[in-house]
Amino acid sequence: MSDPDGLLDDLDADILDALARTWAAVDPPPADLDERVSFALRLADLDVEAARLQHDALVGSGARAAEQARTITFDCDLLSLMVSVLPGDDGVRVDGWLAPPAPLRVELRTAAAGPDGQDVVHTTQADQAGRFVFTGIPHGLAQLLVHGAGLRTVVTPGIVL
Amino acid sequence: MTAAAGAGTVPAEGRAAVLAGLLEKAREGDRGALDAIVREVNPLLWHVARAQGLDAEPAADVVQTTWLVFVRHLDTIRTPQALLGWLATTTRREAWRLLRQERAGADPDSEVVEHALSPAADVDEQVLTHERDRALWRALQAVSDRCRRLLRVVALVDRPDYDVLAEAMGMPRGSIGPTRGRCLAKVRELLLADPTWSR
Repeated sequence: MSDPDGLLDDLDADILDALARTWAAVDPPPADLDERVSFALRLADLDVEAARLQHDALVGSGARAAEQARTITFDCDLLSLMVSVLPGDDGVRVDGWLAPPAPLRVELRTAAAGPDGQDVVHTTQADQAGRFVFTGIPHGLAQLLVHGAGLRTVVTPGIVL
Repeated sequence: MTAAAGAGTVPAEGRAAVLAGLLEKAREGDRGALDAIVREVNPLLWHVARAQGLDAEPAADVVQTTWLVFVRHLDTIRTPQALLGWLATTTRREAWRLLRQERAGADPDSEVVEHALSPAADVDEQVLTHERDRALWRALQAVSDRCRRLLRVVALVDRPDYDVLAEAMGMPRGSIGPTRGRCLAKVRELLLADPTWSR
């Protein structure tokens, strides 16, 4: 093969086709990955500061997953955001803390239940200590937004409550 | 075209043209076009993240973060090549950032680190319906980790796009061609010696 990049013959082409098929079968992306990304990008304003998911751990020893609280931390240059997610009979309770503490407006977006439904935005205000809480949140995809920490709104990836 | 088809089935020029059209619409604020770009490029980003050694959940998080960072830069990205290069680079960097954190927090001797560096090969071969694909999977277990990672992403990148491949793997552009050639040659040799491939 004189081509510096290596000319492909039929066998190489067969191998490349088989590689694409094989990796797609052996390790496909999660079935909901496209939906999670599309939900997270369904924002009014796209000039946002992305907060990275740092830690997602199950806390407590409830026998069923439904009884367990989950603590999730998000981080960006402007702030850190820690939430504790506790499922209950009347929906999910989300307790959150902003660091550094500041009385900022916090939104929790939840995904539409059906294909024709609308996303729902729950809004609250953190207190002086940076604490906030949402209650009665439905299970499913959700995303947190924090306004006023900087020029841009801080947004988290979509998480499944 | 079906966006879910990903690489391999769409001719390179067709894919670039489709992405160019979608990119223009997305820059004008068309959210449907942005969703279509996500569906088209997600398989590549997924395999880039996994090829760096991330487990499934962190890999999915990294792909999401990449898109959230991307939308701020939408206005500055003009061509499909720039789009794929930017997304592949960002996915790799986000994956590396996470791996550094995981390693910093882990016992350096632990199996967790080993596992993260070398994704498990314990896959149920039954998901591979073609005899030839099972032969290829066995061959992939016999090549170096570096080759296995490169050949995972090679299959998802259009053939002229060595720039994207270099970005995705964090390798110099000039070494992509020779490395890919060596890895393919090794797999070829193993397959030609395997009667279930040639049959």
